[in-house]
Amino acid sequence: MKTMFLLLRKNPLAVLGIVILFMWIFAALFGPLLLPYNYSEMDMDHQMSSPGEYNHLLGTDALGRDIFARIIYGSRSILTVALMTSLFSSIAGILIGFTSGYFGGLIDTVFLRIMDIVMAIPPLVLAMVVLGILGDSTIFSLTIIVSIAYTPATARVARGALLSCKGNEYVDAARIRGESHFFIMFVEILPNTIGPVIVEITARFAYSIMMIASLGFLGVGLQPPTPDWGMMVIENKSIIRAASWTVLYPSMAIASLVIAVSLFSDFISKVMIHEK
Amino acid sequence: MIMTLAVMSFLIFLLVEIMPGDAAQTVLGQSATPESLAALRESMGLDDPMPIRYGRWAGAFIHGDLGESLYMRGVQINTVFWRKVGHSVILALTALVFYVPLSLFLGVLAGVRAGKLTDSIISFFGLATMALPEFVSGIILITIFAIKIPLLPITSIIPIGETLWGNLNILVLPALSITLVMFGYVSRMQRSSMITVMNSDYIRAAVLKGMPRGYVIFRHALKNALLPTITIIGMNMGWLFGGLIVVETLFGFPGLGSLTLSAIKTRDVPLLEASVLFITFIFVVSTFITDMMYAFLNPRIRFKGGDV
Repeated sequence: MKTMFLLLRKNPLAVLGIVILFMWIFAALFGPLLLPYNYSEMDMDHQMSSPGEYNHLLGTDALGRDIFARIIYGSRSILTVALMTSLFSSIAGILIGFTSGYFGGLIDTVFLRIMDIVMAIPPLVLAMVVLGILGDSTIFSLTIIVSIAYTPATARVARGALLSCKGNEYVDAARIRGESHFFIMFVEILPNTIGPVIVEITARFAYSIMMIASLGFLGVGLQPPTPDWGMMVIENKSIIRAASWTVLYPSMAIASLVIAVSLFSDFISKVMIHEK
Repeated sequence: MIMTLAVMSFLIFLLVEIMPGDAAQTVLGQSATPESLAALRESMGLDDPMPIRYGRWAGAFIHGDLGESLYMRGVQINTVFWRKVGHSVILALTALVFYVPLSLFLGVLAGVRAGKLTDSIISFFGLATMALPEFVSGIILITIFAIKIPLLPITSIIPIGETLWGNLNILVLPALSITLVMFGYVSRMQRSSMITVMNSDYIRAAVLKGMPRGYVIFRHALKNALLPTITIIGMNMGWLFGGLIVVETLFGFPGLGSLTLSAIKTRDVPLLEASVLFITFIFVVSTFITDMMYAFLNPRIRFKGGDV
């Protein structure tokens, strides 16, 4: 903890990332309570009004909906889904990777084959195809599919981390004590692999945000009228010349959030290297 | 690899099968009568059980026949598909021509000046652009180079009756959007491998021998420092095709990405199979070629059989 603060003082960029991330979390939690507009409310008299006009801080889109309100509401879904996917894919990855690496042999071979097949398609293409065919994505289906697309990668990291610890004496000691496999995997080995696992979770968080924004952009993410940052960009792209703010501000929101999370995850990996 | 492709093609059939809606429904729309739906399904061959349809499709596929599109009635996929793939390949190559030299050069520069201001600027820029989804960097580029300074077109549509060759300027902004994203990965890799190599004994020896710094960097260090970067570029080839889907959607570019997306939305199974299998194929093959290249370029691996 102390090293963390010391490192923070040396990394102003990491501080910036953490501050922006917390601002978005605050906006997602309390923002909607403070807003004068709802995300789907149409101000029919002021369509495509520019930022600052008629009490619309960031202007309105072609339907007269407040861009600022839509961005604030949109932060809820993207943060929720990204957080859940990074957790789920990490948990699933640890379970699969640990079981596979710990028992080895046939189980390992079978798991690795399955992972190879899933990893043969780029995650974005996989998620896009499955979500597109499922139709009408919800927060639930989005979370599950993106998690599945990311699980092979996390499983590989977890398997590698386990294999590097498996040969240690304390594992043998636990085995001789007669501990169960479950105990050895999760009580003995897991705490020793926590560094790479935490790095993986935070990195996954950044990837998930990118992926969810891209899926929304491709039109296979959350369905309207739920505001989704990626979707806002594509639905307003046709009016970019007349009302650039309708596209620019949602893009900025995505940019600020992903850059903040990347700076944060970069920092976490530095802390973990330092702790070693 | 064949195994992977076979499993994948079957899963796509299965997935479309168990989900509601099919191509006949998308062709006729929501208001279609049950009779017309049934008739169309029969003419599309959607009546047969799934395994039979899969067998029929796979049999033709092996012989290079991608089948007939379900949504665009009467259109042979072979005629549309390869033209679109060609467009995407040209776009991907343009992006490669942009980002490989740029990121290698800046990566080497950052690595040589590690810890100095040049390095900080390049590294932060790389981290920031790498984090952005392709469509966000695309929007930023559109705003700057198409709206503020009206140099390039906002959309990359090829006018009817014209070819891509007559409209090469539409490639620039999509390729630059990909460049921005890939730049971060490649320059970062190049920077860190450059730092490792510059700290090694043989570089120190070369410098102490009194060789000019530029000579040491380009003749001695770069050769070894390029290896990991080549791996990253190769590994990202398949990923590049994923990114292409996003970029093509943003610019309305008529390539593989937009084709795949429309195939999904119309439940056009043969077209979807062709697109996804092609992307997977590129992904797997590029990983394979990367491994080969790596061994070819690194004599230590070539002679010792991977024992490094």
